[in-house]
Amino acid sequence: MSVANPEIQTSKASLTYWELVKRRFLRNRYGIFGTIIVLTVVIIGILAPFFSPYTPIRTDKDRQYFPPQSIHFFDEEGSFHIRPFVYGLGEEMDPVTYEFTFAPDPEQQFPIQFFVEGESWDFLGLEFKTRLFGVSEADGQYLYLFGTDNLGRDVYSRMLIGTRVTLLMAFLVVAIAALIGVIVGVCSGYFAGTFDLVTQRFVEFMGAFPDLPLYLALLALLPRRADAVLVFIMFAGILVLLRWAQFSREIRGMVISIRGLDYVRAAEAVGASRPRILFRHIVPNTTSQIVVWVTYQLPDVILLESFLSFLGVGVQPPMVSWGSMLNQILDFQSFNAAPWMMAPVGGIILTVLAFNAMGDGLRDAVDPYSDK
Amino acid sequence: MSTNSEQILLKAKDIEVGFPIIEGFVQAVRGVSFEIVQGKTLALVGESGSGKSVTARALMGMLSERAVVGKSASVEFSGQQLIGLSEEQLQKIRGSAISMIFQEPMTSLNPLYTVGNQIIESIQAHRKMPKKEARSEALRLLQEVQIPNPEARLDQYPHQLSGGQRQRVMIALAIANEPKLLIADEPTTALDVTIQAQILRLIKDLQVKYGMSVLLITHDLNVVRKTSEQICVMRNGEIVERGLTEEVFTNPQHPYTKHLIQSEPKGAPPPLQGEPPTSLQGDKVRVVFKIRHGSFFNRKTEDLVAVNDVSIKVRQSESVGVVGESGSGKTTLGLALIRLISSQGGEILFGDRRIDNVDRKDLRDLRTSVQVVFQDPFSSLNPRMIVRQIIAEGLVVNNIGSSDADRDEMVRIALKDVQMDPDVMDRFPHEFSGGQRQRIAIARAMVMKPKFVLLDEPTSALDLSIQAQIIDLLKDLRDKHKLSYLFISHDLKVIKALCHNVLVMQHGNVVEAGPTDQVLVNPQKEYTKALVNAAFEVVSDQPQSASQSFN
Repeated sequence: MSVANPEIQTSKASLTYWELVKRRFLRNRYGIFGTIIVLTVVIIGILAPFFSPYTPIRTDKDRQYFPPQSIHFFDEEGSFHIRPFVYGLGEEMDPVTYEFTFAPDPEQQFPIQFFVEGESWDFLGLEFKTRLFGVSEADGQYLYLFGTDNLGRDVYSRMLIGTRVTLLMAFLVVAIAALIGVIVGVCSGYFAGTFDLVTQRFVEFMGAFPDLPLYLALLALLPRRADAVLVFIMFAGILVLLRWAQFSREIRGMVISIRGLDYVRAAEAVGASRPRILFRHIVPNTTSQIVVWVTYQLPDVILLESFLSFLGVGVQPPMVSWGSMLNQILDFQSFNAAPWMMAPVGGIILTVLAFNAMGDGLRDAVDPYSDK
Repeated sequence: MSTNSEQILLKAKDIEVGFPIIEGFVQAVRGVSFEIVQGKTLALVGESGSGKSVTARALMGMLSERAVVGKSASVEFSGQQLIGLSEEQLQKIRGSAISMIFQEPMTSLNPLYTVGNQIIESIQAHRKMPKKEARSEALRLLQEVQIPNPEARLDQYPHQLSGGQRQRVMIALAIANEPKLLIADEPTTALDVTIQAQILRLIKDLQVKYGMSVLLITHDLNVVRKTSEQICVMRNGEIVERGLTEEVFTNPQHPYTKHLIQSEPKGAPPPLQGEPPTSLQGDKVRVVFKIRHGSFFNRKTEDLVAVNDVSIKVRQSESVGVVGESGSGKTTLGLALIRLISSQGGEILFGDRRIDNVDRKDLRDLRTSVQVVFQDPFSSLNPRMIVRQIIAEGLVVNNIGSSDADRDEMVRIALKDVQMDPDVMDRFPHEFSGGQRQRIAIARAMVMKPKFVLLDEPTSALDLSIQAQIIDLLKDLRDKHKLSYLFISHDLKVIKALCHNVLVMQHGNVVEAGPTDQVLVNPQKEYTKALVNAAFEVVSDQPQSASQSFN
């Protein structure tokens, strides 16, 4: 009975840990669905100018607070058009309330064209003019799928550009926070002793700050007249400052539990050096948790960024983020007059849900050995 | 089973249980039938994954929701068909006519309620009884299970009791409503060997007193032999052999049963040739842990002496066993001797070299000649590394071997040494079974060509038949490479089969030491006697008194 390995079939290829995780993840429909949406949002964010008909700063002085135009395939007579079109909007003033009302004007049919020449945009230092769709610039045609804002800017185009800033902010903040958190957490957990004690007290100190007042206070310190990019970077820095601490704690706990495992002991027993134990045995076994943490933190940062920018203390114009777009309808009247300016809320909800779905799927998948 | 004259309490027929999994369907139990006689014990024996626990759960309708029970399955319990009963009907039977005790006494009691309340709740769930009366009934039950000082225990929480006491409480809960059938699922596996003997004794006594039938589920053949009248041996979801316990043990029919019975460790180590040189020696080794407690401003540290001035000597080709129950300090002693943890007193010599006072860097060259194999093969291999990396790590770290090809060859030899196919080098640990993983862990130690190996319970996480293979392997390796072993175990049988000398530890102290035959055959100290008795007799014959002091 000392046949060593009856049940191992040498024909089947070995799967690495991440291949196992991938297999498990692919079985989770909810997670996959979330991932697809996340990827779509990311691609849209990266190529935002291509997918949007206008630049975010283009103003249309004649058409402020214009409601969304809907896409049609059938015209008034009911005949089908292979090329979708929108109607121009006729503007009327209510003689009693002096309110402007808009109604589609059948006279003005603006056919949507694809791969049109539009205003130029930069990508990786290259200049492009092609945009996915748009209407002919000539004879005053316009296309505002989500309507326009108080300055007559296209809400749809701004929202896509806002995706970019919001996601960039989220990725930047989480990546840096994760990096700091991992370094501090691993060192604290592995070296223990006084270093751990001091680090953990500092982490607790960071955690004891009341978040919101601190954000507001720190943001108030930012120079008012500073460049928008500088404000963006400092804003990200402040978010990082308050995020890494909690993560470093989680990593520390994980490192402490891995440090006590027999395979680390066994590595010590063969004389492995400290760095080797850290980087070959401990850190690789925390990666799955890091990935899961990151996917859960991204929607968190998106929400926080939106919230703070909504309050007007986050991303500053001319930069556009979902939160700063919502800032424009801070007062009730403009909300009442142009509810379509709420569109970024849809983007936020969709993205946050998608990230959470992806995170759930990943969390279930990173422990592939549990499954039968 | 010839049971004409006896009354059959439970008749299980054609029990089939399957679980849907992602790649299809697993048939965990197939066509299992057995009968339990009134007042007798039936043992279901098998290794892990044989379907014995699933079978027992199927009887009580306690399977997970995913489980699929075969259509022809039938469980007749004193004339009543249990399969197909509603959850409410089953609940009435569970805990009253049939009750169950589990393996893990740490988790089967609710930590938020006192022991008394849990027993009272169980009584009142099945019998209309005022609280006061139920309380005195609970007290009587605690006396019944021989818990010392039962009045006080009634108002204690589970965490205030030891493992053995908790298992007694579980038994009190199980017999609270005088069941006709007690299902005991590995009731003693998590307990120390002397406690195990007491618990088995208790179950036996209660069985006689209440006229209960017992369905005992276990992997431990000794327990079966001493406690059950009838036995069913399970393998891969089927019963391969059944019969009266004595008959099956004296004359096993099925090759698997024969194999299981032969797997019991036996034999003795070969005598040492002459007076071999000392390999590793510890002189009055002392390990102290600092326990911090008290508040932030009033911090106190207390010294916990885990190993109290223990002296030990392991010679070349010799195996020294260290036995003791959990918490006796045996693993701490082992780890301190090979300097994986530091000691606070005494001298440790490897050959002629003193090693207890050198620092990490100077220990480097020691690491190649002193190796260790751990208990749990599931946590001792890094899941992110392939077998080649795991085994070759020591070679890489210590710059042994001139090239990767050279090291690969060494890994190949080490794998052959532990009887594994060298082609498994590129596989990950999760692709192997427990026994195979333990072989890999042994290969990792052997590739360094050590002189001394610390074996920390290397077989206790494994099934019996695998355990026998690993012990044979360790014996072969010792004789082939003239290795010295320090073998830590709570299993006296394994120690007896493998070790020349033995050290019995309790609470960090050496109770008794000497040649294995002497200590284990003719123990001098009370504690050693109780240990030996529990290991070889299994069911304690003295109900409380002598063994009480260790509880």
